[in-house]
Amino acid sequence: MSRYILLILGTTVFLWATSANEIIKKVEDNLNGKSLDMKISMIVHTKRTKRTMKLQSLSIGKTKSFMKVLYPKKDKGITFLKIENTMWQYVPKIERVIKIPASMMLQSWMGSDFTNDDLVRESSISDDYFQKLIFQNNDIYTIELLPKDESTVVWGKVIMNISKKYYLPVKVDYFDEDGELIRILYYKDIKKYGERFYPSYWEMLPQTKEKEGRKTIMTVQSAIFDKEIKSSYFTKRALKRYSK
Amino acid sequence: MKPYISIALKNIYNNKGRTIVTILLSSLSTAILVFITAFMDGEHKIMLKNAVELYPGYIQITNKDFRDNPSFDNLIENSTSLVEKVKENDNVSSTSQRFETFVLFSSDTKSVGAMIVGIEPENEKINSKLEQSLLKGKYLENKDKNFLYIGNELAKKLKIKVGDTISFVGTGADYSFCADNLIIKGIFQTGLFEFDSTSSFVNKKYFDEVFVSENLSTHIIIKPKDIDNAQFLSDEISKILPKELDSQSWKEFMKTLVEAMELDGIFGYITVGIFFIVIFFVILIYTLLSVYSRIKEIGILRAIGTKKREIFSMLLFESVVLSFISILIGGIIGAFLAYYFNINPIELGAEFEEQFKQYGLASTALPTDFNVFNILRDMLIMFILCVGSTLYPIVKVNSFKPVEAINHV
Repeated sequence: MSRYILLILGTTVFLWATSANEIIKKVEDNLNGKSLDMKISMIVHTKRTKRTMKLQSLSIGKTKSFMKVLYPKKDKGITFLKIENTMWQYVPKIERVIKIPASMMLQSWMGSDFTNDDLVRESSISDDYFQKLIFQNNDIYTIELLPKDESTVVWGKVIMNISKKYYLPVKVDYFDEDGELIRILYYKDIKKYGERFYPSYWEMLPQTKEKEGRKTIMTVQSAIFDKEIKSSYFTKRALKRYSK
Repeated sequence: MKPYISIALKNIYNNKGRTIVTILLSSLSTAILVFITAFMDGEHKIMLKNAVELYPGYIQITNKDFRDNPSFDNLIENSTSLVEKVKENDNVSSTSQRFETFVLFSSDTKSVGAMIVGIEPENEKINSKLEQSLLKGKYLENKDKNFLYIGNELAKKLKIKVGDTISFVGTGADYSFCADNLIIKGIFQTGLFEFDSTSSFVNKKYFDEVFVSENLSTHIIIKPKDIDNAQFLSDEISKILPKELDSQSWKEFMKTLVEAMELDGIFGYITVGIFFIVIFFVILIYTLLSVYSRIKEIGILRAIGTKKREIFSMLLFESVVLSFISILIGGIIGAFLAYYFNINPIELGAEFEEQFKQYGLASTALPTDFNVFNILRDMLIMFILCVGSTLYPIVKVNSFKPVEAINHV
């Protein structure tokens, strides 16, 4: 008898595990689409200053991504390109392409509270983490993500709250290897873009003491999913070519 | 005049050989002590002075949290008006504002991370040794745009020379992305490897445009009129600062160096101490011999009724007079040397240059420290030492019975 109970228990755990993985895959698909052409505006709040940036982001799935800064004038024309695991930045003022090494992926992106990694989505939550469903109610799934040994991600743990209705994240907590909460990302204001739903308001709140008083808000100005994006955007030459 | 005093004076006068040798020995030791102290103190002073004047300055104003967390959240705001306020203090000789940050330099072949500082070129001429450290090219000017003044070792790493162009990327005071091309205007060498391989400077006016740091700085440097007054002035200035700012004198922010110098001083004194133990015994043995040679004389004095106490007083008086003359002569010679080499520093020559650089000394000229208090202190030490070393022989010779003493061979 006890053997059956064990078997049933085992299967449930297994089912939960697979469903967590399925949920995450669905979320990733909803966030990335087949392709995505987005215009974003970003407001960076620090203790002393408030700064607005506007950018355009083009991506195909989660492997290729191209970004261009449109505003302010000082930064206009700075472009970013990510192919597979490599990222480059082009700075028109010094006419130089800078390769951003893997060690810099968790550095701040253009002084915001988002990292390079966040912006170009280098690490993949479905491939680089073990997922485990730890809680669910009528509205949300709570999934715990622990890094796989072989993956290069730097977060020690990620807790993701996912809306059951849209299969989109609502709130994500990022912990370091010591289990300390480093930052919280809120996704709000889900809107319909074409056939898809997408959160149009992202709020990043750093939790560490040295980043007191800081936050970054990203709002989606426009988003076009699944349209054909020219493959010429995803070459190193594009960095300079589309900078203008 | 008590009889033993006149006998003592006669003894000193009549035994010229003994007197001269004693005085020579003691005065030479005194002169050496005075000079060594002056030399050691002088060395430490010049090291500290060089280290302070090279770049850090005598007094620094920073945000209280900046030293622990040098982020752009902990800056000095409204720094120009603050400088005006600081200048109202009569003891302030000059000030300069600085904005330090780290950027990635990249030349055609190399990329290196280094410090870049926005400085006020004219003010910095007074507050640091940057201008004097010029090696090639020219120092910065107040109207300069994108011109860079760079450390020699850093220039070598980047493989650039005067006139070349170099790019940098960094973060502005508002955390925005900054990048520009800079033309190398001058290359400096302070001799401090660490500093020369990580530092570079641009005009703050230009810096403020690129790094969005108008009216902001990380440090305000103050030079007091009287440099010995730095600590006092720093405390004074602290009182007028906004509560998030803090003023520190070099003794506080260069604590490690000050402590290292103190430790070095202690080792110096240990060496000197050993030297004195030797001197003490030399004088002791010499006095012992000279007193023993007079043992017959002392025996006769005792035999004709001189009291033990009187003989003790007589011998001690001799010793006091001789010691006093010695330390006076030695003190004057030592003081003269200390004074002379204070004005005309000792030039140790090029072969010591490498060693000196490790201690942050750009020049090999070492002025001694002429300090009257120290000289008097050393003279007093020598006096006690000389008199002290004669006590044992005097007591010893006094313990003989008169008959024994007269018959002593």
